[in-house]
Amino acid sequence: MSPEWLSPTTLDEALELRAELGEDAPTVAGGTFLGVLVNQRLLEPAAFLSLRRVPGLEGISANDHLHLGAMTTHSAVERSPVVRERWPALAQAFSVVASPRVRNQATVGGVLADADYASDPPAMFVALGGRAVARCLAGEREIAVEELITGYYETSLRPDELITEVRVPVGPERAVYRKFRSRSHEDRPCVAVAAAVANGTLRVVVGAVAERPQHFPELCAGSPAEIGRRYAEAIEPISDARGSADYRRRVIAVEVRRALAELRWTG
Amino acid sequence: MVSGAVRYAADVELTGMLHARILRSPYPHARVLRVDTTAVPSGVVVLTPDDVRGLGAYGCQIKDETVLAVDRVRHVGDPVAAVAARTPREAEEALALIEVEYEELPAVFDPVEAAEQDAPLVHEAHRVSENPAAYFGLRPEAGTNVCHRFRIRSGDVDAAFGDADVVVEETYRTAAAQHAAMEPHASLARWDDERLEVWTGTQTPFNVRADLASVFGIPEERIRIVALPMGGAFGAKAFVRLEAIVAALARKAERPVKAVLTRPEEWVTLNRHPAVITVAVAARADGTLLAKRAESWADTGAYADCGPGVAQKIGYTVVGPYRIPNVYVDSHCVYTNLPPNGAFRGYGATQAVWASERLMDVLAERLSMDPLELRLRNVLRDGDAFCTGEIVHDVRFAECLEAAASAIGWSEGRRGKGLCVLLKGMQTPSRAAVAIEVDGGRFVLRCATTEMGQGARRAISLEAARLLGVESEQIAFPNPDTDVVPYDTRTTSSRSTHMMGRALEEAVRDLRESSGTRGFGEIRNDGGLDPDTGQGIASSHWHQGACAAEVRMDEETGKVDVVRVHASVYAGRVVNRPGGELQNEGSMIMGLGTALFEAVDFEAGQVTNANLSDYEVPSIADMPELTHDLIERDGAEVHGLGETALPPVPAAIGNALASLGLHMTELPITAEAVLEAVDRGRKSDVGAVTAG
Repeated sequence: MSPEWLSPTTLDEALELRAELGEDAPTVAGGTFLGVLVNQRLLEPAAFLSLRRVPGLEGISANDHLHLGAMTTHSAVERSPVVRERWPALAQAFSVVASPRVRNQATVGGVLADADYASDPPAMFVALGGRAVARCLAGEREIAVEELITGYYETSLRPDELITEVRVPVGPERAVYRKFRSRSHEDRPCVAVAAAVANGTLRVVVGAVAERPQHFPELCAGSPAEIGRRYAEAIEPISDARGSADYRRRVIAVEVRRALAELRWTG
Repeated sequence: MVSGAVRYAADVELTGMLHARILRSPYPHARVLRVDTTAVPSGVVVLTPDDVRGLGAYGCQIKDETVLAVDRVRHVGDPVAAVAARTPREAEEALALIEVEYEELPAVFDPVEAAEQDAPLVHEAHRVSENPAAYFGLRPEAGTNVCHRFRIRSGDVDAAFGDADVVVEETYRTAAAQHAAMEPHASLARWDDERLEVWTGTQTPFNVRADLASVFGIPEERIRIVALPMGGAFGAKAFVRLEAIVAALARKAERPVKAVLTRPEEWVTLNRHPAVITVAVAARADGTLLAKRAESWADTGAYADCGPGVAQKIGYTVVGPYRIPNVYVDSHCVYTNLPPNGAFRGYGATQAVWASERLMDVLAERLSMDPLELRLRNVLRDGDAFCTGEIVHDVRFAECLEAAASAIGWSEGRRGKGLCVLLKGMQTPSRAAVAIEVDGGRFVLRCATTEMGQGARRAISLEAARLLGVESEQIAFPNPDTDVVPYDTRTTSSRSTHMMGRALEEAVRDLRESSGTRGFGEIRNDGGLDPDTGQGIASSHWHQGACAAEVRMDEETGKVDVVRVHASVYAGRVVNRPGGELQNEGSMIMGLGTALFEAVDFEAGQVTNANLSDYEVPSIADMPELTHDLIERDGAEVHGLGETALPPVPAAIGNALASLGLHMTELPITAEAVLEAVDRGRKSDVGAVTAG
């Protein structure tokens, strides 16, 4: 049986289908992640809910926040003049995902809803205090990205909700994204470090090492080397083809220290 | 320019054609108790073990394969049933309706363990194939998983090791790799009045024909193989892959049947032999090599394929292009319960050179000698004897080494730099033949050389044009068709431009001497090695090259950054310079993947990275500065260039790391392993200080 391809043309229609079908019809945004799952037969749903033809989900604007529509592609974020000027570390995090072919297709909403532990953007959103806008028929709510991703491929999104937008507050004075790849340049990170200083507060987030982005506000004080060491102790890293837990722990200490040095954080 | 005009095997359509899908074993080793197809709808044709029980076995060197696994599956992915339906989707859905009951058996995944006496047996018996690909004396060891062992016995190794000033020894490992050709395997078969026709992406039309004759018990003349152009092959499209299954399905269906593999299926269809190689070398204090001892285990997976040939190649390649009077080699080809391993660009040389050339730098360090000087002191020169007893001619190892060293500024400082030299044999013995038909102002080449993107058609057409004194546009080169073209051994081992080029010279001479409408030329290169002593002719001429690499390394993460790689390859005479340059570049890029990234990962025999996201081939952003030269000599014969620049790349990178005190023994070289080597270096520094 071929899965049904649902392609609503308004947001309300999409939300109605979502409310009705929930997880029975996985949402397709860019399809870069879902496509892999389907090809590997890890996913064989009865239907797909495509957001391609829903207007108004794409676009970038900035006022007191950066607004990224859920269907905005990685390439669009990477190339956006306003993002590059005011949130350069975010543009950087999107620019190092996979290859141009993937970035032309993958979306902002998709990368958060997939909650893949080895994606680049989530850690950066957490460091910047980004919030996802989740809509359902009854209305919308904001969820801090830090609370949106709850585990391996798991989010706090309810089955009737869709991410429509991501908001990032203005004003990190400085931010940095470092992607450490243990293998090819197109690989996912072995260890990713996103760090930002806003109003004198430092946020250090380590990505790709555990089920969700790792952020320890209580450890974000001291010298770069001290913070790196504490993060390495606090995190229980996973082992995968990109590196063992022990190796990752060592690299976390190094890469956090390097990220903070790049940020000119002196403690 | 990309025109989209090439018609690949997957593009061939025949009226009434069905699409095949294959049901594969989820277990590495199991008895097949029951295959129940009752739920499959009647419009779908199903091939089960019962259908193939009466068919013959095949295998290019050892006859150990049946069309489907009968009674026993031997690797995850082993075909246990196949279906043909009107659409690929219908076939896919039918697969889900077949029920198979298995009883798991103990399995073995490591070639050294598998070679031991009490290891679970992957095959109960070994049967040498009558396929012409079984061209050398096969030496299976009864009652074990060793399906071939090749030996070299030359001189008195024990005495030489006893007399040596310095002895070094190490064990080196190379992981399984996936060819990752852009085009997956595809084949189409049709029966017409007891005659079998197969359109397939293959490098070996005549070997496929011989194996299918063995399967169906019909004369080879009743089988026609049309070898279509391939979107990359790298060895993966040598010998039977899908052809037997589509032919058996087509016979049962009484309709043409086509199969195209999905990407994940490629990882359970054919990979490169993982190998474990222990090598020891004995030398005098001045660096003169006295003796070499090596033992190798090549893991051929569940079916031998051409593994015995790979083991032989490893056996003499691990000796290296050196004058060594005393040599003792045992090279084993071992069954395990991994998916089959077979030909892969380099054909055993990659694994062998990694071991032998890494050890040369260990020796250089022990002797406090310049690694270049150590090599130059020992490399084979014209008139020297190789360990096989054959005298080498037209060898340029020293010239290749010096060119590579100079390209990376070896004399200006060696830190972060490494070298490697390579000797690689060409298929010996072998035959090549070509017919030229004159058709008006056109010259049609009837020859079995297959095109896989390597540019064989271009190179051979240019040679034909040169010899005939016409424009290359006047040369036509239709797809090889075994009904029409004369016999050729196969398109492997970088032999085609050399061998077919020589056959062309004969054909042009024949054309001129005869009627002027048809010319025929045939060439043989004779030789072969005694499997018990390794004496004889390993190769009628040698592929020769050297490589130099420069690296940087992050001491805190172990991440290696390859700054540049240079390959110097002896071309003899270049036929098509742009094509030759692309072969060098492509080989170096594949070598970089083997050096740093590529490994098929297994968990209890199951591939865990059967996709191009988790299995890492190099990307364009990983490219170092890649340079190379094609060394020519006036009056020299054409040397094949398809593979030479691949095998030396990992060892050159490994040796560059050795210059930083990091002795790596496993491919790929992971950042984590490098960091462990950094740690070992620190500990020994501390030890040295304490001891002082």
